[in-house]
Formats: sequence, structure tokens, C-alpha cells
Amino acid sequence: MSRFFRAKPASGIAAKSRFLKDVSDSEESDSDEKREVKSAKDKKLDALELSVKTIENAKKINEWVAIQNGNAKPLGTFGIPRIYIKTIASLEDFLNESLQKEKEAKKKMNATQAKALNSMKNKIKKIIRQFEDEVGKWRQNPILTEDEEIEDDEDLGEFVKSTKKSSIKKNNELYATEFNDEEGFEQVGKGNKPIEYTSENLFKKLREIMEARGKKNTDRLEQIKILQKLLGVAATPYQKIRVLLALIPAQFDYNPSMSNYMNVDMWKNTQEEIKQLLTILETNPHFIIREYVEEEVEDKEPVIESGQTFGIRGSIVSFIDRLDDEFIKSLQNIDPHTTDYVDRLKDETELYATIVRGQIHFEKNELNESTSRVVMRRLEHLYYKPDQVIQTVENTVNLLYPSGVSSSITPSEITQDSSVLIRALCVYLYKNGESLLRTRAMLCHIYHHALHNRFYTARDMLLMSHLQDNIQLSDVGTQILHNRTMVQVGLCAFREGMIKESQSCLQEICGTGRVKELLAQGLQIQKYSQLPPEQEKLDRQRQLPFHMHINLELLECAYLTCSMLLEIPAMAAAGSNPEARKKVISKPFRRMLDYNERQVFSGPPENTRDHIMGAAKALAAGEWQKCQELIGAIKIWDLMPETQKIKEMLNRKIQEEGLRTYLFTYSSYYTTFGLEQLSTMFSLPLNTVTSIVSKMIWNEELAASLDQINNVVVLHRVEPTKVQQLSLMFAEKAFSFVEANERTLEQKQLSGQNQRDQQRQKGQSNQQQNTEKRTTYQKRDGQQQRGRNNFNNVLGNSVRGRTQQNRYRS
Amino acid sequence: MSASGTPTTPKETLSNVNVTAALDVEGNFPLESVQIDGLVVLKIIKHCREFFPSPVTGQLLGLDVNGVLEVTNCFPFPGAKAEDENELVDGARYQVDMMRCLREVNVDNNTVGWYQSTYLGSFVTHKLIETQYNYQQTFNNKSVVIVHDVSRSTHSNLSLRAFRFSQAFMEAQKEDKFTTESLIKNKLTFSNIFEELPITVKNSHLVTALLHSLDDYEHVIPKSASLDKEKVVSPLSPNFDTLELSLDPYIEKNLEFLLESVEEHTQEQNTYAFWQRSVAREQTKIQVALQKRKQENVSRLASGLEPLPEDDIHKNHKLPAEPSRLDSLLITSQINNYCKQLNQYSGPTLGKLFISGELQK
Repeated sequence: MSRFFRAKPASGIAAKSRFLKDVSDSEESDSDEKREVKSAKDKKLDALELSVKTIENAKKINEWVAIQNGNAKPLGTFGIPRIYIKTIASLEDFLNESLQKEKEAKKKMNATQAKALNSMKNKIKKIIRQFEDEVGKWRQNPILTEDEEIEDDEDLGEFVKSTKKSSIKKNNELYATEFNDEEGFEQVGKGNKPIEYTSENLFKKLREIMEARGKKNTDRLEQIKILQKLLGVAATPYQKIRVLLALIPAQFDYNPSMSNYMNVDMWKNTQEEIKQLLTILETNPHFIIREYVEEEVEDKEPVIESGQTFGIRGSIVSFIDRLDDEFIKSLQNIDPHTTDYVDRLKDETELYATIVRGQIHFEKNELNESTSRVVMRRLEHLYYKPDQVIQTVENTVNLLYPSGVSSSITPSEITQDSSVLIRALCVYLYKNGESLLRTRAMLCHIYHHALHNRFYTARDMLLMSHLQDNIQLSDVGTQILHNRTMVQVGLCAFREGMIKESQSCLQEICGTGRVKELLAQGLQIQKYSQLPPEQEKLDRQRQLPFHMHINLELLECAYLTCSMLLEIPAMAAAGSNPEARKKVISKPFRRMLDYNERQVFSGPPENTRDHIMGAAKALAAGEWQKCQELIGAIKIWDLMPETQKIKEMLNRKIQEEGLRTYLFTYSSYYTTFGLEQLSTMFSLPLNTVTSIVSKMIWNEELAASLDQINNVVVLHRVEPTKVQQLSLMFAEKAFSFVEANERTLEQKQLSGQNQRDQQRQKGQSNQQQNTEKRTTYQKRDGQQQRGRNNFNNVLGNSVRGRTQQNRYRS
Repeated sequence: MSASGTPTTPKETLSNVNVTAALDVEGNFPLESVQIDGLVVLKIIKHCREFFPSPVTGQLLGLDVNGVLEVTNCFPFPGAKAEDENELVDGARYQVDMMRCLREVNVDNNTVGWYQSTYLGSFVTHKLIETQYNYQQTFNNKSVVIVHDVSRSTHSNLSLRAFRFSQAFMEAQKEDKFTTESLIKNKLTFSNIFEELPITVKNSHLVTALLHSLDDYEHVIPKSASLDKEKVVSPLSPNFDTLELSLDPYIEKNLEFLLESVEEHTQEQNTYAFWQRSVAREQTKIQVALQKRKQENVSRLASGLEPLPEDDIHKNHKLPAEPSRLDSLLITSQINNYCKQLNQYSGPTLGKLFISGELQK
């Protein structure tokens, strides 16, 4: 029958065939249906049948090339045909068989055949893994599947549904059998052989797994499962330790990519296991896990004499490190605005407890290096947290191990006071850590001081440690920590009302416009250049979890407020003098102010910036009340502790700076100012006004003198003549001229020396000398700078270092 | 400073010169001083003042006699605005024509140098260097440039200075190489680019007589009742002009120029520093390459191979060429000039200020 002929009544027949479906009537209807739904599915099925036949035939004559060609992949959008499963299963059996045979009589097979056989072996393995369930099912009950096959033949229309159903059914069955397996310690291996895990063959299995680890075809999940089973049967502590030492890294290794984070459940499991490991070690003190053990461990139970310790190769500290890293990684990847994040964050207490426990363990066994690493971890969990949080965490931890051995570094009495605790941890690291850990500990310590408004302590520590001199040489993570510390010190100064110090601390970081990047609190969008993907990945990995973030808006707000309080009087002092106007304290502030001033119409302030810009304009115009209002209206201040106090401080500062601005702006129009009047104008006490004016006179900002009798400021109007101006300029120029000259000379001498040295002995030792000289010169230079504007330059060094690094990288 | 000598009566110091003058036909004596006729001085001053403040140049004519360069005549070059090629050619032709004419009327027409006007001593330029080099080469070092500073002359005494290049500078300029090395070789610093020659002004006896008679004012002009004796001041008698106190503009200008040159010098320094850095970079590269080659050689020796030569590394790595130091040399010299001027000016001025201060008490 041609298709054209059948075209018209097609629908009728289709309907009919549907009714006929259950009757299993005749071949005709069957064929009808086949032809009617001559879709891709059918075609494929036909093709499949054909290829199955070829494979069968080829099998008989041991023709592997044909088998390989015949093994087409019949997968479409529909399910897996029984016949296919059957074929691959039997094919696998045959394959194994012939592999056996081949071993016995290798010479019989020619090269192409052997090649085909090998590739077939790999291919079939892959396919079997894909259809593991189905194949397993088929193996268990070939007859049933055979039946289904017949059914399939009978009712191809229902094929899809049935396979789906059956596969689900099968899956359930499979789970059931697996469950049974676990109960009876019996598992069916590939070759239908039951695998038993007992305490006796544990070491052997363990060894097998260890050998398979890291290989390409190993199923990592499978390994973990086996190890878990092994852990179940492990009888002695030694066995348990050995299994755990294999199981924990296996779980860490499960996730091969660096960007993904570990599954939370698995993480929890691992944590439990580490805890278990620690418990075992605590109860069995004769086992010690060290990184270096001389004798190779045999696969048998060691004989331990009493009083002796037995070393096992392994590193708990790396487990704890990894656990912590995975925790941070998961926090980086979870959206911080979801409850997931909060839930995850709750695990920190547990993690912290594990860290503390590890610390106690290392201390007891005098593993100093591990101790300092763990102490660092502990410190990094603590330094940014407020007191209450630390206390709660510490209390929980103490409750978790109430009767356990207490730490000598951090006895439980001192854990009540966060500052004492952090001090103890830091001091331990100063004494025992390597230089990197010492640096980090120092930074954490400073951060903590700054957090507690101890500005001078923090500053002194920062300067005395000379951290900034070479922070740019350290790794990026430490630099980020340094930046965070700097910002925190700046905020601390702000809270304490030290505007100038605060501004100079924040300047380097906030002035760059790359705050996010410098604090690792989000990726900066590059405007003109695209970062290379690896670079972006690295940056992403460095990001801090959300709960550690410093509020950027608050930071900006503090910075801009400081800038306003310093810049507005400075601008007023500069007046119309173009040279003086060029001296900018805060570039971003100036830019914003310029932008704001160019606006034709500026509406009421909406965000923080608008508020500050409005306040700045008001301050410049002498309207200090308005300025106070605008600054006070900023909502973000609420995030600072003791908001009211800070606002009061700011109000006082605004009054003072307002007075200064006024004096700068209008001093040229008056011959005298009444102190009383100034005091009422800015509602400042007379003493304050007098002190401010005196300070300005002393700093030569105001050419005036105080008349104590009449209580007025007498202004002496002086303006430098052209000649004086020029002379001043020339003095400045000459100074830089001389400096440049000296530098050139220095360079010259260096290179001259270099050449001479080369001629003399062509060695490398001289280069060292040279570099030493160079560094001493730089140091001297640095000191000079520091002498000139004491706190300013030093603080920013590292940032500059970081930007430079960035530049090199990109 | 003998250069800023006032037009005084000629000294009869060189009476015996004429005797040996005839002997010095070959011109073996190096120049030691310059002797200018009063006429030439006046002509130069006139020319320079007319075109002030744009700089002008002119030709000096005369003869060198026994180490003394006698300048007896001069003529100005046409306008300094000659930028075009054509006008430059015109300038050359004008010079030749002028010389021919002078020869025809039998006036001294032997070129001995040139003169230039300047503003506050800012004459050390490339143009001057080039021209003077040409002159000095053509006339076997017996050529000078006379620099007349108009503004200084109005402020204080007449400023007329004669310069020529030192031998060291001539050498360096000949090689056209101003690297540090050649500077060291020629022992050249900013202070010995030029050699300044003392200038004496010579007047003929007739002129001297006139001057004397002018000085004796009362004899020349008959006494009359209408002339107030008090007000008539002899032109050459001491006056109070030199005691003028308006010093600001002069110092201002000077400082401005000084600032400018310092800035220029800073630029030069930057170029130099840049060069230094790049040299240092290259050198470390060479070092690294050498080190590598050495290691390679060690391993090659160990495996019994011939060591590779180390010379080609030096060939492969070219050190960047040193920037010419001429500019910085000139600028430094210029700065030196300004500083000297300021010093010279401020010394007497301070004296004046003290005087006036005392007077006002």
C-alpha cells in the first residue's frame, strides 16, 4: 500500500488501531500501527534490531571490528529498549570471556581485532555504567525482561510509558536490594561475586582503595561508600584511625573542581568524622598522627608496648584547614540574603569547636607547627566579631567539652574576655608562628583593637611593627587583611572623632574607587579591560563571606564626611589662589562636589552622597545648622555603635570647621573680629573659639593676633608681593631640583659601581650589595616622607603595592 | 667684570703692540682680549635698542692683532624674522653685498665675529651655539660673539660681553657627541663652555678730546642768565640715576626666567633618569642572560660539549643610547647666568636699600 493511498483514511484507522490495542489481534493491525507511527523512534528501533543482529552474528565468529561498528547508540528522546540492554549485557559477558581467552592464546588475534577489542572493552564499560540499573536488573531477572521485550514487540505505542514505569520500578527494587546488601554486609560486585567487608580483610581493601585513589576511572562516590562500610566494621582504634585517615581526604576529594563547594551534608559528615578521629586519639593517647613517620606502616595491627607511642602518617591540621576552607567556600557560594546562608552560618560554632579541639589536641602532643596553624584559624574566626558573639561561641564550645583537657594557651578562664583571648592567641603566634602567621596575627590583633575603639594602641602596633614597609611583598590574602585592618583603623579614628587621622587612613583605599576589590567584598566591574578568566576565578575565590564584610556605604559615608570636614576649610583658605587650590586633600570628594555644583537643579538629597554634598555646600556658605541637619539625616549612621555620640561629635566638628571656614573666607574683609560674636555665631563656648583662633594663628593659617583686653582678633592683612611669591615658588622648585639631582647621582654611582664590580669579579654577590644600598636609600626616603606628613604616607603603602601588583597581573 | 666697562678714556696700554703687530702675520697668538671702538659700541647699542625686545644680530669687522681683537666697524643684519628659506638666502646675499660695498669704499671689511642682543642674559641658545661654532671654525678660533643686554644696560651699567667657545667645547661640538663620556674626556662643564674675553673700548684721540671738552661743560656753552646753573648738569658728571630703587620688575623677570629654566632642566633630568632606568633594566637582563649561559655552559661541559661563547649576549642586548647632554649643559649654563645676574644685582641693591633706609630715619 502506498502512502498516498493511505493518507485519507489514516485517522480512522489510527482510531481503530487504538481500540484494537488490547485485543492483541492480528499481525495486520500490528503492521499498520508500525507503519503509521513510522517516526524517528521506529526507524531507530529497526536500526537497532539490525545492529543487534549483526553483533550476534559477529560474536559467533569472534569478529570484533564488526561488533564495534555495530554497536550504534540507539538513544533518542524515548527510553531504553530492552533489546539494547540485553545486548550490551550479553556483550559484556562475551567480552570478559573473550578477554580471558585472549590472554590464553594471544597470538591468534590480529592487530586490528585486538585494537577493536580493547576499545570495545572501554566502550562497554562506559555504557554499562550509564545503564547500570537496567543492566543490573536484566542480570537479576533476564526472563522478566524478556517478557517485557515481547510486550514491547506487541505494543510499541506503549513502549515509552512502560519503560519509564519499569525503570522507576526497577530503581525502587534496586534500592531495596542495596539496602538489604548493607544490612547483611553483602554486595554484589561486577562479576556477580559477593564482596564482603570484614575486620580481617580491612587492610587489604583499604590498600586497594588507596591504590585506586586519584586514578581516572575510579568512582569516587563508590570509594567513599566502601570506606564508610569499612569504618563500620573496623574493630580496633588503629583500624578506625586508618580508615578515617583515608575516608576524610576521599570526601574532600569528591569534588574535583575548585570553584564548586562541598556538599553541605558531606561536609557535616566529614566534620563528624574529624571529631571522631580526634575522640579516638584523645582516648587512645598512644597513637599519634604525624606528618613524618619513619617506618612504613604494615597492613597489620601494630604491637604497642605500654608507655610507647605509635606514629601514624597523616595530618589532622590539613583536614581542619580544608574543612574551614570548604566552609568558607560554601559561604561564598550561597546567596547571603537567603536563610540557607544563615543556616550554614550556624555550623560555624561546630566548626569552631572542632578547631578548638584540634588546638587542644596538638598542644597536648606538642605539634607546634600544627598548633600555630590551628590557632591562626581560630583567630581568623574571632577577630572581626563583636564581644557578645565571641562570648556566646566560647561558652557553647566550653559546654561541648566541659571535662576535656583545657588548653594551656587559652585556658577557659580567659575565654570569657574577647580581648584577653585574642591577645593570648596572638601572643602565642608571635612567639611560635612563622613570619606569615605572625603578620596575619598582628593584623588581626590590630583589627580587634580598632574594633574596640583603641585607636592609639592599634596605630602604635601598626607603626611599630613596620608592617606597611613590606606588606606589598606578601600574598594577596594578607594584603586584603591589611586593607581591612586599615579601614577598620580609619573607622575607629572616625568613631573617636579623630577626623584627620581617619581621613588619612581611609584615603588610600577609598580614594582609589576600587574599594570592593581592595577589600575583597565583590568583584569590580572593569570598565575598559576585560580580566582574563583565570584572574577572575582567582578573584572570586578570594572573596570574603558576607558576614565578614565591612559595610561599604558606611565606609564611604565616613570617608566623605571626613573629607568634607577637612576639605571645605582648606578650600576656603586657598581662596582664589590657583596654586593653593591645586592642593587636593580628597580627590573623590572634590570630583563629587564639582559634579554637584555643575548641576543646574539639585533636588532634595536622596542618598548618602547627596546629603554630604549638600552639607558641604552649606558648610562652605557658613550655614552650619543646615550642615548639621543634613549630616544628621543620614540613616546609615545607625549602623555605628553609639550613634548618638557620633552625631554629637560630628555636630561639634561641624561647628568648629564652620568657624574656621568663616575665618578663612571673611578675614580679608575685616580688621577685627569680636570673639564674643564669633562665639554666638557658631554657638561655641568662648574658650573653644579662642583656642581655634590661636591654633590658626600658630599654624600661620591666619595672619592675626589676639587682643586679650578688648577680646577681639586683630587681623593683619598681608599678601605676598609678586617677588615674594616667585621666590617661594623658586625655593620649592630648587628643592625638588636638588632632590632630583641627588637621585640621579645616586643612580649613577650605583650603576657605576655595578660596572666596576662586574669588571672586577663578574659575580652576583655585588648585586646583593647594590640592592641593599638601594633599599637603604629607599628606606631613608621613606623616613623622610614619614617625617614630613607623619601618618599619611605610611598607611597607604600596601594599597599602592596591591595596585601595582594588579597592574603587573593585568 | 671688565666687560661692563664704561666708556672711559682709552688707556695707552698697548703702545708697543703696533711694533709686534707686523710680525704676527700668521696669527699665532691666541686671542686674549677684545678692543672695541666707541663707534662700534654706539652702533650696536643703537641697533639693539631700536629692535628691543626682539633679538637682533650683526656683523663685527676688524682685525686681530697680536692676540687682541680690534673691532673697528660693524653692520646689522636685516630683521631677525628671517624664517623663510628665501629670506635666509637674502640674508647671506645681503652680507656678501654689504662686504663688497664696504670694500669698495675702503672701510675695514674683515669679519672678526658677530654681535647679538639679548634680554636679561638669556642668550645661551642652540642658535647662538651653531652660529658661533661656524664663525669660530671658519676664522680659526679668532672670532667672538659680543652679547649686548639691553635691559640690563638700562637698569645699571652698560652690559657688553665678549664670548668665544672653549677649546673643549669646540672639540665636543666637532664630534657632535655630548655623552657623559665625552664630557668627561673633554673636561667640559657648564662653566667652561664659553670663555669670556675682557673688552676695552678705544676711542680715537679726536673723540677723546671731544669728550673732555663735553665734560668741561661750562666752557662749551656760554653762560647766560636764562640758564639756571643748578639745573645744568654735565652729561658725564656723576648723577643719581644709578641710585634708583625700583627693583621689583627686574628681579621678577629674572626669577621668572630662572623658574622657566629650572623647569626645563627638570625635564632634561627626567629624560636622563628614564634613560638610566632603561639602562639598568637592560643590564639586569644581560646579567640574567649571562647567568643562564654560564649554567648552560656548566651543564654542557658536564656532558662534554663545547661551551657557548658569552660575547654574543652583549651583542644581542643593545644598551639604549644616552640622550645628548648638550641641552642640560646649556640650561645649566643659563641658570648659572641668571643666578650671577641676580647676585650682581642684589648686592648693590641691598646697599642702596640700606642707604635709603638710613636716609628715611
